[in-house]
Amino acid sequence: MLRPRIIPCLLVKNGGLVKTVNFDHPKYVGDPINAVRIFNEKEVDELIVLDIDASVQNREPDYALIRNLAGECRMPLCYGGGVRNVEQFERIVSLGVEKVAVSSTAVRTPELISRAAEVVGGQSVVVVMDVRRDPGTKKYQLRMHNGKVHCDREPAEFAAEVERLGAGEIVVNSIDHDGVMKGYDLELARTIRRASTLPMSVLGGAGKLQDIADLIREFGTVGAAAGSLFVFKGSLRAVLINYPSRAQRDALFEECNGRQNR
Amino acid sequence: MAMTNYQICVNCVMDTSDAKIRFDARGVCDHCNTFYRDILPNWHTDERGAQELDRIVESIKAEGRGKDFDCIIGMSGGIDSSYLTYLAKERLGLRPLVFHVDAGWNSQIAVNNIEKLIDGLGLELYTEVIDWDEMRDLQLSFFKAGVPHVDTPQDHAFFATMYNFAEAHNVKYILTGANYSTECIRNPLEWMYYQSDSIQLRDIHRKFGTRPLVKFPITSILRHKVYLRFFKRIRVISPLNYLPYRKAEAMQLLEQKYGWQPYPQKHFESRFTRFYESYWLPKRFGYDTRRVQYSSLILTEQMTRKEALEKLMQPAYDAATIAQDFEYVATKLGISVAELQSYMDAPNKSYRDYKSQQSIYLIGANVMRLLGMQLGGKR
Amino acid sequence: MIAIVHYGLGNVHAIANIYKRLGIPQVIATTPADLAAASHIVLPGVGAFDWAMKRLNESGLREALEHCVLVERKPVLGICVGMQMLAQRSEEGSLPGLSWIHGEVRRFDASRFAGETRLPHMGWNDVRPRQTGGLFKQLTSGARFYFLHSYYFSPKNDDNVLATTDYFGEFACSVGSENIYGVQFHPEKSHQWGIQLLKNFAEL
Repeated sequence: MLRPRIIPCLLVKNGGLVKTVNFDHPKYVGDPINAVRIFNEKEVDELIVLDIDASVQNREPDYALIRNLAGECRMPLCYGGGVRNVEQFERIVSLGVEKVAVSSTAVRTPELISRAAEVVGGQSVVVVMDVRRDPGTKKYQLRMHNGKVHCDREPAEFAAEVERLGAGEIVVNSIDHDGVMKGYDLELARTIRRASTLPMSVLGGAGKLQDIADLIREFGTVGAAAGSLFVFKGSLRAVLINYPSRAQRDALFEECNGRQNR
Repeated sequence: MAMTNYQICVNCVMDTSDAKIRFDARGVCDHCNTFYRDILPNWHTDERGAQELDRIVESIKAEGRGKDFDCIIGMSGGIDSSYLTYLAKERLGLRPLVFHVDAGWNSQIAVNNIEKLIDGLGLELYTEVIDWDEMRDLQLSFFKAGVPHVDTPQDHAFFATMYNFAEAHNVKYILTGANYSTECIRNPLEWMYYQSDSIQLRDIHRKFGTRPLVKFPITSILRHKVYLRFFKRIRVISPLNYLPYRKAEAMQLLEQKYGWQPYPQKHFESRFTRFYESYWLPKRFGYDTRRVQYSSLILTEQMTRKEALEKLMQPAYDAATIAQDFEYVATKLGISVAELQSYMDAPNKSYRDYKSQQSIYLIGANVMRLLGMQLGGKR
Repeated sequence: MIAIVHYGLGNVHAIANIYKRLGIPQVIATTPADLAAASHIVLPGVGAFDWAMKRLNESGLREALEHCVLVERKPVLGICVGMQMLAQRSEEGSLPGLSWIHGEVRRFDASRFAGETRLPHMGWNDVRPRQTGGLFKQLTSGARFYFLHSYYFSPKNDDNVLATTDYFGEFACSVGSENIYGVQFHPEKSHQWGIQLLKNFAEL
């Protein structure tokens, strides 16, 4: 039976791990290599690593870091940040990364999705959608460049296009719920789930294992991604890498008794 | 070294790899004699110790009234600090803040153990994350300096951070897992020079560092042993010295109650310390810290000399995995395996090759001994 | 000596690292000589079928590979697209496969999903080996691996199916014929189970 995936999501800034709240106030969390090594030893389902300033600074991905991180992973790794062309897709995949994520680039040059899929295969092309609710109209809005730039696309419609173009997965990231640890934006997840049949991973807001359980109970086979939850501990948000054991995960899936094979 | 120059203590297992070791007429070393003469008579784990501990605990509680927590416990995830945390909360009724310093080398077991204890004991955790780029540069400087005490950056950061926090938050009591039971014999100075000597740290950094130390926490012996101690009244307590502390039983208790996982060897909470103590130090300098640890356990009757000698026959590191560890350390430090090897092959230096404030330590140690405030100590 | 064929995309380093940690000699093969010196060959693969076949054909290794596998009968393990390449053809592309095992590669049929397709097949899924021992030694109960694909191998001969997985119906997640093996999942990214499988392969 295909299991739901529980996915730690790490943000890299200036070569170091950070954690944000609403995509702002980055707090230093430490060395990425050691963090990834610990997650590997915890046998996590898979890992997402996003370089949050590569695109903004218009620079190349940090290939040395990517190679070192990939070397520590005995589970699939998804890397995103600063990816603008097919050559970069190829190069990153050849470093031992299973999936490459694009965000702003997918909006600006959506044809990159199909071209990359032709080379590395659609299953390795991930589109990350950063979404927030417009404070005025209350409608969901797609944003670019760490949520700072407005974009005229409607999230659901963009999700459908991304599927048509041949992507393999959508990561829907809620800016409003990021770092707040009060639960996922389930309504946003539903919106995207209705719009596309691609595998979906939801990111932003998980504060406890129960939030992940709620997501899985509703969506069955889904990716439950989290940053703060797996990196912080306690009310003082002390940095301590944690992740449910295999026994805890199996128990959680049993309990949700998900809608199997959906 | 000529065979005739080699000598090992008949009582413990310290030997002439400690260049300053001295033997009495019976062949017993000065580490043992210091223990029997200075430490043992003044080390009380019976009623006297319990009463002394009660007094201290009362002071801690009084001082902490009305505050969120009454003390901080330096927690590495190792057996000593783990057991201490259990003791402080469950047996002494204290309200500690568990204080962890992340220097970038935590092992998965350590992180897991800390989590289990926090959850099992219902305590709050505070983590100070050392800036990795600065830590890496400083660690690399120590490798380039060619000295044995390459783990100084981690050790120094642990203490400096705790002191800084205590001072900033007006916390009067720092609890540590330091104990005579497993550490009555200390690593010789030649092997591990004072980690708190900021003059040495800065000199090595000045000579070999490539980036300024801005965020890295620095303390100094005068600052924390004199200023913070006497002027700010921040006291460091080692509760494990006031009651019977037996490592095997402590591990069993924590395993049963909290699912705590044992480590293959002391200090394996940090991947770097493991590499350093089990491979770098013995391979490069011939200093095997297991001798020190086992000797302490022999003196406190938790290990027999025979057992210790048998264990010492095996290398301290696992030959099957050492190549991977070596590569990991090199990768983390941002250098090639060849470059790390070049530091291994370079001429050995010692703390004497760089500036230090060793004189202050000597004066201080004598003063403390005269005042009866410190037993034994490093030499 | 395990030779891991380096012809394009494929997680050669991850596979090499696993063998290194197991203490099993390995080489990332870039020349025919590397293949000739090997006792076992791993053919990794990530990416689209045509792209992978094209890269293999242009690598200069195809002839040596075929000699090692079809003539010298060295054990070979195709991973993911590497397994799909063992087939005669694939619906994903137009180039012919290696045709080492009869069958073709098909896209998962949308009608299997009762209205809701969800491709690619992505995540950890159970694997049911048809027999104990061999490639799946110690992996018969509770073994799970990471899958990431939208196409699957449909062998002509059911005897060539070594293991199945359930994704809206059973499909062959591992095939084998004499010295030729293939796994659809990624053993190099499947933690302890994957390490066990790669170890088993080295012992065949």
